[in-house]
Amino acid sequence: MADSLYAVQAEGVGYSYGRKRVLDNIDLKLEEGGMFCVLGPNGSGKTTLFKIISTIFALQDGEISVGGRSLRQFPTPVRKKIGVLFQNPAVDMKLTVRENLRHHGNLYGLDPHDLETRINKNLEALGVENRGGEMVESLSGGLRRRVEIAKVLLTRPSILLMDEPTTGLDPAIRSELWSIISGIRNTRKLSVLFTTHLLEEAEPADEILLLDQGHSVASGKVSELRSSLGKEYVRLGTYSPKKLAAKIRKEGEIEVTAEPASVKVVPTRGQAAPLAIRLWREYSHEVTSVTLCRPTLEDLFLQKTGRLWSSTPGEI
Amino acid sequence: MFMQASYSLALREVTRFLRQKNRVIGAMATPVLFWFLLGSGVGRSLVAPGFRERTDYLTYFFPGIVLLIILFTAIFSTVSVIEDRREGFLQGVLVAPDGRSAILFGKLIGGTLLAVFQAIVVVLLAPYSNYHPDARVLFYLLAIISVLAVGLTALGFLIAWPMDSTQGFHALINLFFVPLWFLSGALFPPAGAAEWIRVLMRFNPLSYGHDALAGLLATRPGMPLPVDLSHDFSIVCATTLLLVMACALQVSRRS
Repeated sequence: MADSLYAVQAEGVGYSYGRKRVLDNIDLKLEEGGMFCVLGPNGSGKTTLFKIISTIFALQDGEISVGGRSLRQFPTPVRKKIGVLFQNPAVDMKLTVRENLRHHGNLYGLDPHDLETRINKNLEALGVENRGGEMVESLSGGLRRRVEIAKVLLTRPSILLMDEPTTGLDPAIRSELWSIISGIRNTRKLSVLFTTHLLEEAEPADEILLLDQGHSVASGKVSELRSSLGKEYVRLGTYSPKKLAAKIRKEGEIEVTAEPASVKVVPTRGQAAPLAIRLWREYSHEVTSVTLCRPTLEDLFLQKTGRLWSSTPGEI
Repeated sequence: MFMQASYSLALREVTRFLRQKNRVIGAMATPVLFWFLLGSGVGRSLVAPGFRERTDYLTYFFPGIVLLIILFTAIFSTVSVIEDRREGFLQGVLVAPDGRSAILFGKLIGGTLLAVFQAIVVVLLAPYSNYHPDARVLFYLLAIISVLAVGLTALGFLIAWPMDSTQGFHALINLFFVPLWFLSGALFPPAGAAEWIRVLMRFNPLSYGHDALAGLLATRPGMPLPVDLSHDFSIVCATTLLLVMACALQVSRRS
């Protein structure tokens, strides 16, 4: 099954905790140098899939190859190829930044002299060269993430796996983290596979796998998935979505859906832009805003599962 | 790579221990205080086997306190397995090429080093308990303390590995380890105990560790080594080996 074109290739992956089936028949292909996102609400099985690919959990059903090597047969060579960034930083708070990096290098058997050179380079590349002697517990969440990235890259992995890497970070730090990852991808030609429950984080990925309750509900290139959903539509902000939706529905030749604080109107004929102008004029006293939208991953989730993304269990 | 990884994990254990001053003070002072208060309180009221004359309890209790220090330090060093799991550090180790075996041996070496160091510091107090070990006895003491420390660290590891709560771990320790220590001969000699207690003590591997410690400490310069020493050593070594093997088996299993 292993195809050298793919950094990670999974076929028919399944996993159960006792009798509870949490993943069923999952396929994915991460191209070399590509960026792949496993997107799903909490409880969809993405962390379980991540733990299988990162070799923490044993593979129960299906096959996975990483860097052309079977995960089932050769977990140790696979571990040498991957760098893993977990949801909770895997750094020791009671050690200094430099001690954490040194420890990581030793864990992978790096030559001590080479290790020191790599540590200096990585700390500098991540902008934390002045923090080397500080205890990790004294650093902010954003800096800890930088330290962890510096640590993970010490072993020069060809595949970077990240499980919800921005969890617990504020929006500014999230955006900073993504620009760091993007920079690393460009300079090191890394293949990246990450999981997230944030729709906007999935957008820059080359391909996505949308999971829901352990099942794959959609997969492919983001642009193709979007275009498969059809045309542009209009979203009307309103305080009484059900009432407004009922009124607009009577007009016919449009699909109308009442959402929590808005009404989604999809033209079955013609363009969305003229429809937006007409609806704004006709219902101006009930409408607070009009937005012309392209189909999003949220729409994809709604179409595939019949549920709104916002109705899925949130992060606690 | 495996040795480098294990060494690094062991070094981390020692560094973390030394950076937590309360842990150092607690681990050293608690058993010594326990020894001093209980030993002084019970006083000269016991004739312990191995002693020709009435001896005070401070003297009898001393090997038991050395054992308690090894037990405390070795077992509690493995709480870090649960903390590492909860804080996320452990998963970073598990994805390393030799991570699973390295974490086991790193913890065993780290826990053993800490326990041996503390036990030896307390052994230096032996003259205050009327014990006067010479270099030969100190060598054997170091050997039995090391084997006991490896075994007890392995036992702690075995229990801590599947657990996700330190509270649960402490509850198990109180239920399991304290009686194990009570029944080792540390607090009272088997000679005067009820028959069923004597049976339990006979089946407790820690009794043989205590016996070796007590016998060695009572060996005055120039005296031959205790006759039971090789027997005690064999049982402690065999138990330690079994525990380490059980740990290796447990760690190699992935969920």
